Amino acid sequence: MNGGKSAEERMQARAPEMELIREAQAGSRAAFDTLVRQYEQQVLRLALHLTGSEHDAEDIYQEAFLKAYRYLGNFRFECSFYTWIYRIVTNLCLDQMRRRKTRREDHAVVVNHSGEEMDLLASVSDDRSFSNPAKELDRKVLGERIQLALEKLTPRERMVFELKHYQGLRLRTIGEMLSTTEETAKNTLFRATKKLRAQLAGVR
Amino acid sequence: MNCEVAHERIVAAAYGELADEQSHELERHMDGCPDCRKEREQLLALKVLADAYPVQEPEANLVARSRLRLEEALDALPPLRWFERLGQLVKNNFASLTAAPVAACLLLAVGVGAGSVGGAWVARIRSVQAAAQAARVQAQPNAVSAAAVGAPAEIANISSIIRQPNSHTVEVDYNQMVPRRIEGSLDDPAIRQLLMMASQNSASAGVRDDSVSLMAAECKAGHSCRGAGIRDALMVALRYDRNKGVREKALEGLKPYVAEDVRVRDAVLEALMNDADPQIRTAAINILEPVEADTSVRQVLHSVSNTDVNPYIRTVSRQVLNSVPEIQ
Repeated sequence: MNGGKSAEERMQARAPEMELIREAQAGSRAAFDTLVRQYEQQVLRLALHLTGSEHDAEDIYQEAFLKAYRYLGNFRFECSFYTWIYRIVTNLCLDQMRRRKTRREDHAVVVNHSGEEMDLLASVSDDRSFSNPAKELDRKVLGERIQLALEKLTPRERMVFELKHYQGLRLRTIGEMLSTTEETAKNTLFRATKKLRAQLAGVR
Repeated sequence: MNCEVAHERIVAAAYGELADEQSHELERHMDGCPDCRKEREQLLALKVLADAYPVQEPEANLVARSRLRLEEALDALPPLRWFERLGQLVKNNFASLTAAPVAACLLLAVGVGAGSVGGAWVARIRSVQAAAQAARVQAQPNAVSAAAVGAPAEIANISSIIRQPNSHTVEVDYNQMVPRRIEGSLDDPAIRQLLMMASQNSASAGVRDDSVSLMAAECKAGHSCRGAGIRDALMVALRYDRNKGVREKALEGLKPYVAEDVRVRDAVLEALMNDADPQIRTAAINILEPVEADTSVRQVLHSVSNTDVNPYIRTVSRQVLNSVPEIQ
């Protein structure tokens, strides 16, 4: 996991990108399409990992870039475009997670990658596969167990952990994206790791 | 440090977000605290465990599908008409636009007031001044000493700079309303100010070159080029001067400070990456040698060694990279 973009990459990348943004702001669809292509992989990767569902990731992609298109005129180069677009995506993901959390309270059913519903509690209640060290851990089941633990976090904790642990962003950038301070992001990360450890206490 | 703080710092450290000094404190605390060592172990275990749900690259199908859907939606949007664009523009600049009329009115009022008062005053004293001027002009028309140079606002531009051979004295030709010449030591603040102005404002590349090379020589000789703006002027010249010779001299002058001043280092790194001239990029590599173990320097060297259009520069930067073992 790399620690975000290096200073030198940023310097190189910024000049042509600013040009693209200006063109897109002036109404060029081609320039906007180029911007979409630059960021779509990262947007999908994040949304897919956060929601665990291709369907949701696709929706977030759609909404995020439509929003970016609509409000591109408001982008005034005060932060990097990367931070700006991530701010849109993380907000959409947070909304989506909040909606899903209320839906999930009753039954722990998630939609897996291939779109079929599965009951996670049923699959993790069988603890033997985790507690028996002689048995090789089924990585897929373990992955689902992690996913379940992640979903026990509040949407914000989940987001900070995602951006730090999985996407490797700096806490300062994360704070900027979530419109909060680096210190708050750090505290949220601490809480998230604490909860995750409690959730995953039996798993080794 | 108590254990509660230590636990928070353990998380920050595990994610590379702890300042060096605090990491050191944390290490010392953990040396004597088995609980905190255990805490760290558990956190590292969590990090390993969490990777069992890895981030996956989205499949090409998903990307294509999403892109298609977006394009359809964008095509379906009605294009913005001119008045909508205008509306957006107005909205974006709302703050500045609301302030503009007020500022314009104020300016107008100030201008009219100052004009009428000033006009009357000037007319009154002009007659007196003309007489005094006539007397002064006969004496010595042009040459003044360094101390007599007025504020920089009076100086229109700088036309030449000459250092007298084997001396510490420099002649700077500059224009006020009438061209003048000033003579003085290189350490003289007035002379320095003119040199700095010349490095940035002069239309003639020769003058910029002269001023930058004199300032660079001062810096190399270690003559109080600390903080006094000369270093900044050299960095500006390195970054923005159109003339290659000027940039080259500026780079030379910055050489002694590359190790101690991060801003200088950044300027040199930028030159290495962005300068259009291969000679300057090569010179930048050589200058960076004392700090080649620095991470940002290594990053830039690494990128230059892969992407520079000039094969010689790629080779040299690679050699520099190889000559120092990576620290980490």
